[in-house]
Amino acid sequence: MYPQPLRALIDELGRLPGIGPKSAQRMAFYLLRQPDEDARRLAGALVEMREQTSLCDVCCNVADRSGRCDTCSDTRRDTSVICVVEDPRDVVAVERSGAFRGTYHVLHGALSPLEGVGPDQLRIAELKSRLADGGVAEVIVCTNPNVEGDATAMYLSRELSGFGISMTRPASGLPVGGDLEFADDATLGRAFDGRRPLEG
Amino acid sequence: MGLASLDLVDFRSFPAAQFSPDPDGTTVLLAPNGTGKTSILEAIGYLGTARSFRGATRDVMIRNGADDAYVRATVRRADTDVLIESQLSRHGRSRIQVNRQPAKTRRDLADAVAVTTFAPEDVSVVRGGPALRRDVLDDALLLLEPTAGSLLEDAARVLRQRGALLRQLHGRLGASEATTLDVWDERLGALGDELAARREALAVALSPRIAELYRTLAGEDGGVTATYARSWAGALLAALAVARSDDVRRGVSTIGPHRDDVVLTVDGRDARTQASQGEQRSLALAIRIAVHVEATAARGEPPLLLLDDVFSELDLGRSARLLELLPRGQTLLTTAVPPPAGLAGADLVDVRELHRDP
Ligand SMILES: [Zn+2]
Repeated sequence: MYPQPLRALIDELGRLPGIGPKSAQRMAFYLLRQPDEDARRLAGALVEMREQTSLCDVCCNVADRSGRCDTCSDTRRDTSVICVVEDPRDVVAVERSGAFRGTYHVLHGALSPLEGVGPDQLRIAELKSRLADGGVAEVIVCTNPNVEGDATAMYLSRELSGFGISMTRPASGLPVGGDLEFADDATLGRAFDGRRPLEG
Repeated sequence: MGLASLDLVDFRSFPAAQFSPDPDGTTVLLAPNGTGKTSILEAIGYLGTARSFRGATRDVMIRNGADDAYVRATVRRADTDVLIESQLSRHGRSRIQVNRQPAKTRRDLADAVAVTTFAPEDVSVVRGGPALRRDVLDDALLLLEPTAGSLLEDAARVLRQRGALLRQLHGRLGASEATTLDVWDERLGALGDELAARREALAVALSPRIAELYRTLAGEDGGVTATYARSWAGALLAALAVARSDDVRRGVSTIGPHRDDVVLTVDGRDARTQASQGEQRSLALAIRIAVHVEATAARGEPPLLLLDDVFSELDLGRSARLLELLPRGQTLLTTAVPPPAGLAGADLVDVRELHRDP
């Protein structure tokens, strides 16, 4: 139907979260029509993202090649308080609130047997070794206020109880959740208003 | 409150259909069987509950050859219109939006358009498995209690997570998995106790009302009871500890709110196995009306009534009694037989005329 390189691109795009086969096709044809340099810039950004980022040695947040994130490099941050979050985007959300001056720990997920995520898939060992190093007085567990986030918080409170550190969990979760789903309002409207026959 | 317009795209046999019923009155959908009149009610019911009252999966509701079906409705309220839009998808995620905001729990839908459905399939509530009886209670909780939506979603989610973990154990529980299972047990214990308590309280409240309605409908003095039956005794967390070895060996949660039942009796007999068909039918109707009456009292107005082909099931006397017993706001009904006299003045609509060019 399509030449192989185009088919490969459609397949790759279709693997992205929230992208169905139709959207993948639309994106691929859009890119096909763009000037050469635009496509190269996108490809370059992808390669650079892979080559130039790492996880912070301390908090497991996304960092540049140095292996130390901005927060952990900032000597004014209070290292005796750790805010535990699921996702790097949650760090951004808490930072935006401007109310927190401690450091973070990013788990990269929450307990979810349905998705094959158990404690070993989360960055819990790294958190334990931070606590074992000493100097931490308080852990604030800011996992998402849902079933998986609650279970993860409960698991942490059990696993970390031996460290004798104060553990708290905000009642209302994050000011802005990282896993918010943005509804595509236009799509539903289009289905009713301007329906066109399917191509092919 | 009333439905002012309904648009369907690729829903069941409709490539496209448009329908504007009287938001305050009664509309009779007349047409021979097989022309899709039940589908119209099914689509409205889907917007209010996120499921088909015929027990159909989403795939079945999407027209053959289409990937997605769309249902859109405008609900008229005293002060404002509410727009409900849904996409049923074969491949992607299905979703429902209320005023362009994603509906997060089924309670959001019950708030947007509360519906009560009567259908021939209702008799399976009495005759069928426990899941159907639990659904009746859960649907009623959604109509009656503001916080029921998140409780039901969370309990279902925890059960799925715990089930997935148990399957992954392959019958063996190591020390590290035990800590994870402890956590899911604690969540399930709290949510299960809460859900069972709410269902139980609702069954206690509904039981005398159901008995009274049954007497009126059946015209006989059969004593009817509805009793919630838990699949465990005491606190669920403690019961889960006792059931743990069983659960691990079998790879499923053997107790919990998903294993409970509502025991129905007529004259001391088990209605599921020992009642006549007529008794089962009257009891099923009595249960639906009881929930509808409770919901009307709790919300200050009757939920939208969807009556699918109920008159072919009932003799004229019982049809008339049914209409008297129902608090009615907007009513939409399908019938293949002439409707009873109590419906004089209703709008008559031929479903075959609702088709629009796509
Ligand atoms: Zn860091």
